Amino acid sequence: MAAISTVVLKAVKKITIQFCPFESNVRSTREFLALVGSEKVRSTNTNCEVISVVKHDKSEPVIDVTYVDGERLVMKGEWLTCREMLSAFQSRCKDKDPQIKAGAKK
Amino acid sequence: MSATLCVKLQRNQGWLPLIQSVRHGSKAVTRHKKPVHILKQKLIAVTQYIPPARTVPPGAYPSEEKHVQEDNEFVLLLKKNLEEVFEECKMIAVVQTNACSVDDMLMLRHRLCKHGIKIRFFPNQVMRSFLSNSVYSNMAPLFIGPTVLFVSKEPKVKEMMSALRFSPQMTLLGACIDNTLLSAQGVVSYAKLPSLTVVQGELVSGLTMLTSRTAFMLQHHPAHLSALLQQYIKQQSPDDGAEETPKAEEAS
Repeated sequence: MAAISTVVLKAVKKITIQFCPFESNVRSTREFLALVGSEKVRSTNTNCEVISVVKHDKSEPVIDVTYVDGERLVMKGEWLTCREMLSAFQSRCKDKDPQIKAGAKK
Repeated sequence: MSATLCVKLQRNQGWLPLIQSVRHGSKAVTRHKKPVHILKQKLIAVTQYIPPARTVPPGAYPSEEKHVQEDNEFVLLLKKNLEEVFEECKMIAVVQTNACSVDDMLMLRHRLCKHGIKIRFFPNQVMRSFLSNSVYSNMAPLFIGPTVLFVSKEPKVKEMMSALRFSPQMTLLGACIDNTLLSAQGVVSYAKLPSLTVVQGELVSGLTMLTSRTAFMLQHHPAHLSALLQQYIKQQSPDDGAEETPKAEEAS
């Protein structure tokens, strides 16, 4: 399931995705990682780090996004679908993006 | 309901008909349904006809239980390849690739080929159906999304980890080394283990430590005595040699 529009990571500083692959609730988190970690998306901002942490302690999968202005978005992917997480992420990125552009222009 | 006077009509022409039906128990307008008496209702409910359940004759409908589809030949070939891979290779690592570019893939392949590690790809469905029928069924939940297998005949974990460090977008999920399923942290700790000869040597030395100590203690006293005696002999012999040479000098 590919996103309709590619994600732009201009406003993102770091994305940390941690999950436990032997659990059954990680499908959406892994799909999110596959989408966000792809070359195309990462090339929109080479300063952004996409870090994946693989654990084995039956913990719930968590996606932690840190934006450039310090805001954090924490998504617990156990019961969320990939589409929901992606839409939440994209909407916030879009909100922050024009702000950065307007700030740069001024 | 109606008391009918059934009398044969006599041949009286011009007379009123002798059969007259008298409406008893009903009003003028009989379109509305008359409420049925409760006792009659109960009786009807109790004596209602229940038809026997009509069984479908066998063979009328196609059976719905045929969900197991036979694999086509390509899938069978892939499964055969998988079997060979699992038999030959001691190390099988599962790595999630997040759409890495062709250049990165080529570099990674080159780095791993130097150490004899091959990169193989199998479709997730085939993989999961094969694993569910084999001993390695606990690996099945790893195969979601874009995954790739790193296989090698020798368990060369350190080289694999160093190669993966160069490509950060590949995520190690787990590995099956020597028929043992390991998580990512297990693989890291496996890489830090010393080699087999070193471990065997350590084990042997640990076991023989006590016996060697006993042997040392037993031999300690005679060894000390013999060392002392040798030292005494050495001391004696230079003294003899020193006495002889002055005597020889005196004599000469």
